[in-house]
Amino acid sequence: MLKKLYMVFGIGVLVAYSAAAWFGWEIANSGSKSRLGVPFFYSGFRGGK
Amino acid sequence: MSTLTANCPSCAGPLEFKAGSTVVVVCPFCRSAIARSDRALEDLGKVAEVAESRSPLKLGLKGTYNGHRFELTGRAQLRHELGGVWDEWYATFSNGWVGWLAEAQGRFYLTFYQPLSEGMTLPSFAALQLGQTVPEIPSPSPLMVQEKGNASYVSAEGEIPYRLIPSEQLQFADLAGKNNAFATIDYSIDPPWVFLGSQVTLDEIGLGSAKPVEREARRTSTVGMGCPNCGGPLALVAPDQAERVTCPNCDSLLDVNQGNLSYLKTLNPAPDQPDFLLPIGAEGKFGGATFKILGAVVRSVLFDSVKYFWHEYLLYDPMIGFRWLVHSDNHWNFVAPVNAAEVEQIGTIGAGATVKYNGRSYKIFQDAWATVEYVKGEFYWSVEQGETVRAVDYISAPMMLSQEVSQTEINWSSGTYLTNEEVEKAFGLSSFPRPWAVGPNQPFTGQFYYTWGLLPLFLLLLVAVFMIPLTGLTKTALNQELVLQPATNATAPQVIFSQPFDIRPNGNVRVTAGAQVDNSWANLDVDLINQQSQEVESVNLPVEYYSGSDSDGAWTEGGRTNDAVLSSLPGGKYTLRVEGTWQNWQTPMPVSVKVEQNVNRGVNFCLALFLLAIVPVLGIIRKFSFEASRWKDSMFSTSSSDE
Repeated sequence: MLKKLYMVFGIGVLVAYSAAAWFGWEIANSGSKSRLGVPFFYSGFRGGK
Repeated sequence: MSTLTANCPSCAGPLEFKAGSTVVVVCPFCRSAIARSDRALEDLGKVAEVAESRSPLKLGLKGTYNGHRFELTGRAQLRHELGGVWDEWYATFSNGWVGWLAEAQGRFYLTFYQPLSEGMTLPSFAALQLGQTVPEIPSPSPLMVQEKGNASYVSAEGEIPYRLIPSEQLQFADLAGKNNAFATIDYSIDPPWVFLGSQVTLDEIGLGSAKPVEREARRTSTVGMGCPNCGGPLALVAPDQAERVTCPNCDSLLDVNQGNLSYLKTLNPAPDQPDFLLPIGAEGKFGGATFKILGAVVRSVLFDSVKYFWHEYLLYDPMIGFRWLVHSDNHWNFVAPVNAAEVEQIGTIGAGATVKYNGRSYKIFQDAWATVEYVKGEFYWSVEQGETVRAVDYISAPMMLSQEVSQTEINWSSGTYLTNEEVEKAFGLSSFPRPWAVGPNQPFTGQFYYTWGLLPLFLLLLVAVFMIPLTGLTKTALNQELVLQPATNATAPQVIFSQPFDIRPNGNVRVTAGAQVDNSWANLDVDLINQQSQEVESVNLPVEYYSGSDSDGAWTEGGRTNDAVLSSLPGGKYTLRVEGTWQNWQTPMPVSVKVEQNVNRGVNFCLALFLLAIVPVLGIIRKFSFEASRWKDSMFSTSSSDE
């Protein structure tokens, strides 16, 4: 039973790694997401964080 | 065959010498051994009745060996000086050969007279050493002396191809070689005769199916007897094999002589330690055969003035012979005898010694004097309390190879580790106490975690290598120099935007910012702004760089660039907004920004590697701990693994 659990875990890690590599996901992501509140114009933009 | 008929000189009963090789016929009426010579018949004396035996063989059985038919025409029973009776059957072949089929402890040995080369002399009986090889005997593999002993003829029947004198004593040596080679040297003749052949199975000599019903029926029979000391009842399961039996009523040790019991002594009490777990008479199934427990022995070894005890059960199946079940520290081993000649001993007994048997290499584990402390049941040898042999154990889990050396014999046996569950199942019992430590040859059951358990790690490496060309190499999306204008005060940030650039989906993003700082700092907040969706991904990239010199020499601290990596962003047009504050706010600050995609960073890989390595590493640690625990009880402790 433990062997099966370990193999499921191992395959899960492999699948997660493969997906991250394929889709460009980073586990240690440095950024933070946000959205501009108003339509974006170069002039007058005052942040969005 | 030419048959010679005559009358017994003792009782005048009719006798027949059927085979030309027959020298002696045992008169079926008066049990006289009658020898024929050129001139007359000679009465050599009377032999005892043949003791009832569980042997599957009987006179008149016909078999085949190497394509030659034979018939069992005679039988002699010999008594070993240490007790024990064995049968020798005489096989008369249709081509005139005479074979000796010895039967002892459920094993069969077919041998033929082997004349020695001219001028060849065998070592004398006294000079013969246990364990030595005898190259004078022509054999494909060296023959090693396994046993030296004295025996006497006690009974016989049928036709005997030599001059059998009742009660005559003879000295003999048994030798064994590889591939079941076997030889006996008969020292009752001068010069001694050699009989050479091999250990055989009844199937191999065409007797495998001889009277199976009769053999099966005999299997379960017991013989009831009374104890000569207390008169209490006792039953012998293998009366033809038994040499000693203990009385369960008065704890006497009794001698069994051809079915007759005689009192020897009252046993010393059993050592103060747990009683036998299995009762005498219990039946257990091992490897498709049903064995009955005939006897049980408590044995001990002495280390540093401390006695360590274990139990051994004598198992018997008439079709297979004797086996042992060893119970030590709640570990179990099923033990079978092995041919000593098949064991290759490397070096002398001592630390690091190894032996090879059946393709396995065994390491020495223990070398001690084992003493019989207590016995119960019946035994095929003259067991005694206090009987001591040198016992050397070699291990290769789950196997154990043991050598027992006495003054007259060298015996090797092979033990196979059994779990408590297997022994419980074999005897239909439950709730045996579990072991508290690792057994000498207990197999480690966690190999999976560092063998097959390494498969995901291997696959990870494979995926990592194959993903590089699949996801593409690093590409630069933006590389631009910008200048932040002087600020109005130290805390007021300045903002500048980059030119638009394209970001592709499914690729991580690295943002690198650099500032020309020298012994100062700049704090840069960089926003990636998706022009279509207005979504912003922000990173903070502080930059500081200091340098100078002191008594140790020149030094630097920090750097003029900093970077951050983001997960993939939706594809599209982006621009960078750089908001900065810096130490020298009064002067413009040149800033470089760079955006790259598909950066091979390794964090994901390292994390996956770490997760997948946990179990194999724990498995290896557990294995080392297991082996350390196994070897800590050895006289020859070693830190190395046995696998």
